[in-house]
Amino acid sequence: MTAARTSAPASLYRRLLAWLLLPLLGLGALMLAQAYIGAREASDRAFDRLLEASSLAIAEQVKWQGDRLWLDLPPAALEMLTTDAEERVFYAIYNASGDYITGSARLPSGPERSSGKPLHYADITWHGLPLRLGIRAAQIDDWSQRERFEVRVAHTREGRERLTLSLFQGSLARLALMALLAVGVVMLAIRSALAPLTRLRRAIRERDPRTLTPLELPLPRELAELRESLNELLARMRRVRANQERFIGDASHQLRTPLAGLSARAELALRQDDPDIWHAALQAMGATSTSAARLATQLLSLTRLNNPEATAELRPLDLSEIARAATRNALGTCHRAGIDLGVETPQAPVSVAGIDWQLEEALGNLIDNARRYGATRITVRVLDAPATLEVEDDGPGIAADQRLVVLRPFHRIHQDGAGSGLGLAIVDGIARTHRARLSLHDAHQGSGLRVALTFSRDRS
Amino acid sequence: MTIRRLIGRPRQRAGRRSWLVLIWLAAVWLTSTPVVAQNSPDAQLHYASSPASDTAASRLVVHGALDVPLIEPLLDDFHRRYPHIELTYRNFTTLEIYRTFMSNAGEVDANEATADVVMSSAMPWQYRLANDGYAQPLYSESARNWPDWARWRQELFGITFEPIVIVYRRELAERFGAVESHADLLALLERESEALRGRVVTYDPASSGVGYTYAIEEARLSPRYWELVAALGSVDAELVGTTREMLVGLAEGRYSIGYNLLGSYARGFVRDHPELTIAVPDDYALVMQRLAFIARSANNPRAAKLFLDYLLSEAGQRVISEQTPLGAVHPALKGDGSASALRARLGGALRPIPLSPGLLATLDDLKRQALLSRWMREFRRGAATQNTHPSLRKTP
Repeated sequence: MTAARTSAPASLYRRLLAWLLLPLLGLGALMLAQAYIGAREASDRAFDRLLEASSLAIAEQVKWQGDRLWLDLPPAALEMLTTDAEERVFYAIYNASGDYITGSARLPSGPERSSGKPLHYADITWHGLPLRLGIRAAQIDDWSQRERFEVRVAHTREGRERLTLSLFQGSLARLALMALLAVGVVMLAIRSALAPLTRLRRAIRERDPRTLTPLELPLPRELAELRESLNELLARMRRVRANQERFIGDASHQLRTPLAGLSARAELALRQDDPDIWHAALQAMGATSTSAARLATQLLSLTRLNNPEATAELRPLDLSEIARAATRNALGTCHRAGIDLGVETPQAPVSVAGIDWQLEEALGNLIDNARRYGATRITVRVLDAPATLEVEDDGPGIAADQRLVVLRPFHRIHQDGAGSGLGLAIVDGIARTHRARLSLHDAHQGSGLRVALTFSRDRS
Repeated sequence: MTIRRLIGRPRQRAGRRSWLVLIWLAAVWLTSTPVVAQNSPDAQLHYASSPASDTAASRLVVHGALDVPLIEPLLDDFHRRYPHIELTYRNFTTLEIYRTFMSNAGEVDANEATADVVMSSAMPWQYRLANDGYAQPLYSESARNWPDWARWRQELFGITFEPIVIVYRRELAERFGAVESHADLLALLERESEALRGRVVTYDPASSGVGYTYAIEEARLSPRYWELVAALGSVDAELVGTTREMLVGLAEGRYSIGYNLLGSYARGFVRDHPELTIAVPDDYALVMQRLAFIARSANNPRAAKLFLDYLLSEAGQRVISEQTPLGAVHPALKGDGSASALRARLGGALRPIPLSPGLLATLDDLKRQALLSRWMREFRRGAATQNTHPSLRKTP
């Protein structure tokens, strides 16, 4: 896994292979260990029969004779302990109190005694030799005499090891074959499971980069989800492109109208000789070009606001100060138009993260809008918890079903007005930059409009 | 008489120390082994290493129960082949070998007395040492190809092949016919018990370890052995401790027939005494082997392996076959007295004493007492029937 991660592009194929083969490897090791233990137990069981038979043959020859235990040791009892592997053989007889009677080695009594069974086995090391020891507890049942004794026989492990090895080799071959099959199957399975991914990749790569049509190819469920997500993204991109195209069309249309007006006016004036007419024409052209310049400025700022990759850094600032500055800027214009402009701020500063000039522009646009649409009284208001900027007027207001549409660029409620139709769209863009919500409401009193910019609590 | 000695022997108490018993047993066993009987003063042979050779000089200590005249040709030849090895051979009785070995067992030191290679004819004792893990294995090519019946675990090797034989005087064959088998002997003893009274000699199993080993092996081979023991009892057979005593008695004419003599000694002796005849029984013949192993605690394991490998090589076996009365085991050698020649002549009748855990039973004290009491019972039963109720005697 780590290897796949360090070599730069992590391969899904390799990752799957690793996650499948590593557990498989672990499982294989476990099975090998189990097979070895099993083989060892099987060979011990087989060879313990020899200890059993030998100890029985010896025990049967133990007699009570002349006030002592007596053994006429049958040589065959020792010979049966040895196989082709020519094991070393040891035997001993002990009486009930643990005294050595006879034997070829003083064999220990074994580590623990499991009661009940007459015979038990132990693996011991005697003088550096690993031995398998069999201990038989027996008893002489004579007419007059009842004497307990123990036959201990032992031999070295060569024969057992040979048998273990041959049994283990058998299971080793079987396991190796299984492992080979498993690896092959896993690799095939991964390949076939990843085949649709390759098809998807090929389908995407082969597309014309300008096409935004949805992908149509049959895929398994997991990849179908990916395909749907891709198609949704493509759909969004189509919508965005349509919006952009419309915006460009609208913008060029908007700019063409004043430019066409300018050239018509200039042609008209040039046909006259009266300097007064020229003067009037120049005045009119000056006003038109001013509004065209303003339109261009607004288009620029809207484009800038809509560019998601050019986000300016947000700094903490006080909303009350913004509101006061915007009010100060608009005060002259409003005064000349005879509009009552006021500002309401709370005592404590209302702090948000934002860009001061953008917020000032948003407030300026809102005041400007209210002024243009016939308000006589405009209130700029700052609210705390949640931090909100509000501009309320007593103008005609906007019907509830129009309130979403007016946010679109170039939308004007009254086609005859001097506005560009970009004011609210710019405010909306600024609101999005600040992750604030722009909402339109009825005024608290009367018929006016109340526009609110509500900042989210998250001030990061 | 031996019988009385056996009956009168005080019984061992249960609380006794077992090694005392072992030593007592070994003493009884080995004081009578033929090799040991003449423990000559020159019980040590020494060969200095020649510094000329480019190989680094090393040393080798061999302990054996083989008389110097028997071992000398082998050692000479070995020294000629490996002059850089400083070779020391010490001759012991088989008991001394066992005792010396056990006192040094497990201690690897520079002590001169520590044996690198141990050779002895006391098969059960050698087997027991190897079984208890005091030997180290040899995997040379000749060791791997050594016949299975003369080898145990690559650790213990039978290097000689010595059948147990019957030796009789020529005039016995002229009078009663040749004795070629145990069945012949049994028939002869039962038929001519009066004529042979006191003129038959064999091992005393009670005082001779070798005799005891033969008795235990023969009892395993055939239940008719006990009839033979009874028949020996019925002719009041003389019971002695060594092959040499039997041979000398036969040569002097005190005995007409000797049963269970060590063939290798008999061969050499009979060559100088034409009035004697050797018979390897053709129904079954026990075969004894001298067993050699490399001590686990050997100070010079490399030299020890070279030496044992030499003993098992065709060259070493050829020396055994041609320059000593001992029989060679190596299957490539077909000379007189070799295992191959004897097998060709006697086939399945040869019964080499198997290198198996059965030998451990031979060393069991209680087993020994049980067998000896049975042996003496059979022997005396034969004597009694002969003396009191000749008419009731069984006939084969």
